[in-house]
Amino acid sequence: MTDHNSHQPDYGTGQKKLGIYTLGFIACSILTLLSFWVVMQNQLTRVETFVVIYSSACLQFIIQLVCFLRLNNQTPQGRTNVMSLLFTLVILVTIIVGSLWIMWNMNYNMMH
Amino acid sequence: MHNELAIMHEHHHDTDAIDVFGFWLYIMTDCILFGSLFATFLVLNYQGMMPSTLKDHINLRVVLLETFLLLASNFTYCLAMLDLYKQKIFRTQVWLGMTFLLGASFVFIEVREFIQLAADGFRWDLNGSASSFFTLVGTHGFHVSCGLLWILVMMLQLPKLKGSPHIATRRMAYLGLFWNFLDIVWIFVFTIVYLLGAM
Repeated sequence: MTDHNSHQPDYGTGQKKLGIYTLGFIACSILTLLSFWVVMQNQLTRVETFVVIYSSACLQFIIQLVCFLRLNNQTPQGRTNVMSLLFTLVILVTIIVGSLWIMWNMNYNMMH
Repeated sequence: MHNELAIMHEHHHDTDAIDVFGFWLYIMTDCILFGSLFATFLVLNYQGMMPSTLKDHINLRVVLLETFLLLASNFTYCLAMLDLYKQKIFRTQVWLGMTFLLGASFVFIEVREFIQLAADGFRWDLNGSASSFFTLVGTHGFHVSCGLLWILVMMLQLPKLKGSPHIATRRMAYLGLFWNFLDIVWIFVFTIVYLLGAM
């Protein structure tokens, strides 16, 4: 009932604000450049490169969720959105890690 | 009377919120679709199943350009959204047009890349690894193309929705979620497919 005249409904994903958006845009750009730079330079070991680009991707994912989609747990709908996202992440991890695990085991058992 | 109007307004607000939540759930199921494609890609490329010839064909500079096109299109979409809140329809359309151009360049570059890959002999029917590559990246590209069509429709609809700003805002919210979701998927596409593929 608070903001009747506001034309900014948030639908549980927070208000869009230019400042936060710009911040997210710059952060994402820097992380993207970092990932590409590390791979293009090819100076680090394989494991180090893995760690850098995976953590960069995860950070970008979180930045986009927080700064662009404005996910939050301030409103009931925001909480519902976050809960459904968490549930989706559980399924995604099950599918991806599960597939890799099974195939790795099969490969291992066939070869050794 | 005033109270009744207020209740109706609240009701509107409520159903809008439920509608947008429904769209959010659709996006979550789309995440699972992409998750399965990623799992397939990873299994076929990094388990010693078959030799991946993708490495020789990746041009990271082009991928970097694609990434920034998509990121910038997300930014211009946010600007369109902010202008819509202020009821500046024409400015919203201009920013949507910018978003469309950036997204269209992305699709154009991707299609050109696919044609180039096919010409170089990395065709989708070469082996499982090539198939999973084209399915994953192609599904993302197809989503972006659908988003482009949607942006065009939105640009035409906006002037007609002048009288009912809350419908316009709701529809723009759907499109915004969809467009942002595509950029989020792209983060993982360029990291897992291109960067790991080029290592």
